[in-house]
Amino acid sequence: MPRLAWRTWPGWLLGLWRKSLEFRTIAITVILSGIAVTVIGVSISVSIGTNVYDQRRQQIEVESERATVLAQNIFDSATSTGTGNQIELDSLQNQAQSTILSATSSPGGTSIAILRTPGQTTAQTIQDIASPDFPTAALSSELRKATASNSSKLHFQPVSLATNAGTQAGLAVGSTLQVPTAGQYELYLVYNLSDAQKTLAFMEQTLAIGSIALVLLIAVITYIVVRLVVGPVRVAAETSQKIAAGQLDERIPETGSDVIATLGRSFNGMADVMQVQIEQLADLSRMQQRFVSDVSHELRTPLTTIRLAGDLLYDHRADFDASSGRTVELLHTQVDRFELLLADLLEISRFDAGAVELETEPVNVVRLVEDGVIEFEPLADEAGSTMQVDARGGFFEAELDPRRVRRILRNLLGNAIEHGEGNPIDVVVDSDAHAVAIGVQDHGIGMRAEDAGRVFDRFWRADPSRRRTIGGTGLGLSISLEDALLHGGRLDVWSEAGVGTRFVVTLPRVRGGALTSRPVPIEPPDAEGESE
Amino acid sequence: MTPRILVVDDDPALSEMIGIVLRSDGFEPAFCGDGAAALAAFHSEAPDLVLLDLMLPGLDGIEVCRLIRAESGIPIIMLTAKSDTTDIVRGLESGADDYVVKPFNPKELVARIRTRLRPASEASVDALAVGDLTLDVAAHEVRRGDTIINLTPLEFELLLALASKPQQVFTREMLLEQVWGYHYKADTRLVNVHVQRLRAKVEHDPDNPRIVSTVRGVGYRAGATA
Repeated sequence: MPRLAWRTWPGWLLGLWRKSLEFRTIAITVILSGIAVTVIGVSISVSIGTNVYDQRRQQIEVESERATVLAQNIFDSATSTGTGNQIELDSLQNQAQSTILSATSSPGGTSIAILRTPGQTTAQTIQDIASPDFPTAALSSELRKATASNSSKLHFQPVSLATNAGTQAGLAVGSTLQVPTAGQYELYLVYNLSDAQKTLAFMEQTLAIGSIALVLLIAVITYIVVRLVVGPVRVAAETSQKIAAGQLDERIPETGSDVIATLGRSFNGMADVMQVQIEQLADLSRMQQRFVSDVSHELRTPLTTIRLAGDLLYDHRADFDASSGRTVELLHTQVDRFELLLADLLEISRFDAGAVELETEPVNVVRLVEDGVIEFEPLADEAGSTMQVDARGGFFEAELDPRRVRRILRNLLGNAIEHGEGNPIDVVVDSDAHAVAIGVQDHGIGMRAEDAGRVFDRFWRADPSRRRTIGGTGLGLSISLEDALLHGGRLDVWSEAGVGTRFVVTLPRVRGGALTSRPVPIEPPDAEGESE
Repeated sequence: MTPRILVVDDDPALSEMIGIVLRSDGFEPAFCGDGAAALAAFHSEAPDLVLLDLMLPGLDGIEVCRLIRAESGIPIIMLTAKSDTTDIVRGLESGADDYVVKPFNPKELVARIRTRLRPASEASVDALAVGDLTLDVAAHEVRRGDTIINLTPLEFELLLALASKPQQVFTREMLLEQVWGYHYKADTRLVNVHVQRLRAKVEHDPDNPRIVSTVRGVGYRAGATA
């Protein structure tokens, strides 16, 4: 493992915490149960430790008391014999020591010391004696003072014993002996408690191992339980993803009658309802498309008959009297208009129903624009406008639907001629690496900004009182916008009252390409100059 | 002799109106208002051209087109109320030579009919060779060795147009003008579909055409691309 790997751990764990419900649940369970087990373990070991210590201390108390009594008896019996010389005292002392040692039975070993209480003057003294390993230094002065001053009871002090095996716990017990003719002596017994300590350590170790094993077991159990609960939830998540992706028939298996099964059943119920709704909507959309198609057929057949009849009459209008001739003319033009309106309406309904398809083929945009301009030249001449094509780019084959692009161009040119007031019309074609754009600008009446925002609305007219000259249906720009959007492109408008209107259609060069740039700017380059 | 035209349309008013238009332009119309009876009418009337509505009771117009095409190469012009792509392509693929979208005007209809009925363009030679095919211009026949390949008049004209100038690349627009008689922008799918139909008949491997090859981004030309 790389040395720096530990630095990534916190981030990794945090990520796991956020991502994995299992990890979170197991972590929380392990931490909480770990705390609980630790608290229980510590309190158990403390109470057992206290218990063991108390028991040992009682034992020591009893032993010490007996030892003290025995030793005192030895000295007392000697006194009763009357003698009191130094030699006898020394032998008595040795006798007392061995008696005390035999009276105590500590497994860790007991050391003994008989020390003279300082500050007395007596006829005779006996030497302080101590076992070879007696830890004189461990006896505190407080213990000695307490022992010396109060001879009626035992005094205890915990001590630590330095042995070959390291420091071990011990207990020092102090009592007093009255030696005839030699005054008061203090008897100290130091008990080694290492055996009790060993027992305790072993118990604590066992407890610790048991606790760790318990926590691990809890972790494993939690993992299994979480898997049991989370598994169905995960299936639900996957299923809902599949449904969202359109696999409406996907369902969760329902087994049993527990809460998970209830979840599955309610989920499936919801999916059923949604499926029905979606299928209803799809049916509705299909019906709408079907309706459009039917209306198309049903309306167009009688219209064709009217058209044929009207045209036949129109061709013979010279044979009619003046008013009948005019009637035939009106019939002819209005049938044309009706036809255009019907075609546009059907086209819009097709967009609304989503029943449109882009049919791209390699299209040379400059050639397409030039053809379009030539087609509109008679109309422009009629209005007194000239059309100027400025082709800076777009000489390559772009992947476009020529029918739709041509339709956009026709709408823009027709619009420019209608609102151009006989002024020149500029047509710009340009391209860059990703997009190709056509700009059509008139220098006519223009529009106010708030009107310009509505030009793509259906049947909207900037000035309702204005006369229709070209006979647009009021749907042309709406359809053009849809055509541009279908290419993944844009159709933008700039307009200023009294200056003119400029439309720019920007289309991606390849099908499905994204638009990030505008080869032809929406604002005309001379806009600033003219608006002044 | 006046050309006979079979009008297959279920709308009596439209049929009658088309009849009036056709008569005034010197054609002799015959009528059939039911798809199921169309093939029988075709047999009994022996028309020179069929105007076929796509939506018919009894039998679908596309099916009728397929049935007629199976036994005859005579010109079929579809009358379609749908400008939807799929319907037009389906109609062309089933064998229609051309289509007119309702509502059409009389001149448009008559122009379409005349183009399809005009005598084959005067070729300067009697026979042409494209790949391993021989075109007998006078007899309107295409042979591979001794086998005659059955082409409709339209398919023959398409192949002839390409073969008469073997080095020239024809754009779809040029073919539309020369073969279909469109003098303005028309539907280039007409060309695409009929080139596919032609290839299916004359190529050894339609997926790897050697007789009518595609020039990417431009159009078509006769013979394998060098």
